[in-house]
Amino acid sequence: MSSARRVQQWVTFGRMWYLFDAKWQNPFDASTKIVKVLSGSHKPIYHNDIDCGDHVVVINSAQIALPGDEWERRVFYHHTGYAQGASWTLAHQVHEKDKTMVFRRAIYHALDTSLLRHARMCRLHIYPDEEVPEEILRNVSAQLRQMRAVPKRLDHYTEDEVKNFPKLFEWPKDYVLET
Amino acid sequence: MKFLPSQDASFSTSVRNHLKEIQKTTEGNTTIVEGKYVESPHSGKVVFKPNDEKVCPLCALNLNLKHTDVLVLSQFVRPNGQLLPRRITGLCCVQQTKLTKLVTMSKKAGLMPNLAPANSHKDPAKRRGSKKLHRFFDEATIRDTTLRNVARYREIRYTK
Repeated sequence: MSSARRVQQWVTFGRMWYLFDAKWQNPFDASTKIVKVLSGSHKPIYHNDIDCGDHVVVINSAQIALPGDEWERRVFYHHTGYAQGASWTLAHQVHEKDKTMVFRRAIYHALDTSLLRHARMCRLHIYPDEEVPEEILRNVSAQLRQMRAVPKRLDHYTEDEVKNFPKLFEWPKDYVLET
Repeated sequence: MKFLPSQDASFSTSVRNHLKEIQKTTEGNTTIVEGKYVESPHSGKVVFKPNDEKVCPLCALNLNLKHTDVLVLSQFVRPNGQLLPRRITGLCCVQQTKLTKLVTMSKKAGLMPNLAPANSHKDPAKRRGSKKLHRFFDEATIRDTTLRNVARYREIRYTK
């Protein structure tokens, strides 16, 4: 085949490796995007039987954010299979034990319940911080955009930025400033 | 009758800045606590003109604030973390309640750790249990009652 055809073949059928930074992201919102990439639905050649899903490498899963009081309300259910083996664990307890588990379970439950689910989960690589093994990072060639903007803390702004920001009111006469 | 000023009198045509700051200096055994007149840290940077400052700033600007807009929210918060009263900031009560909720959200998310009491850690990572974990909030959960006040406010002219 010609070189142009060969390039087109690789680009169409090659398995891509994407990076996703989970810092300050909601794993349940991000799962809608990641699940689409894992199953291959984002490709025009998609068919369920041809197993065309891509790899997703998730970093900073220890720094995910949940809305409001969900850390204290979201439960993960597990049954050992034996009698009295049911347990309901809160999200913050699960996160303390394993920093990747909340993200992993969010993706698992967002994936279609098919026999391909475990194969798709094998193509998901989650790391709690930015340390990724070299043989995996070598394959990564694109990045998925974050869904939430990472907020900036007030003490991370420089003193000049805070001082020169437009002010919304003037102090009244004879006011005693606090330091 | 001609009235001549005495040679000792000093006249000042500029507005005397009346803002005070209490400064504490320690020299050996003595601690000097002084109330000094200071330049207002907001001078030259206020968005409104001086004769328009009687209007609620947040109603006039119509900012659609988020709990992550820390540079705006922190202006209404004291260094020890308390909110400033309405008589100082000029906010209307509707905006003050909305600001209270936004500042609460911002603090729970750990975005204003330096505006805290003196005995605080000032680091969200040092909080106990699930409180050190990252959180975000949805501003749509705050009930917006500003629409009925819009007609009450006159047109505001800005400095620039």
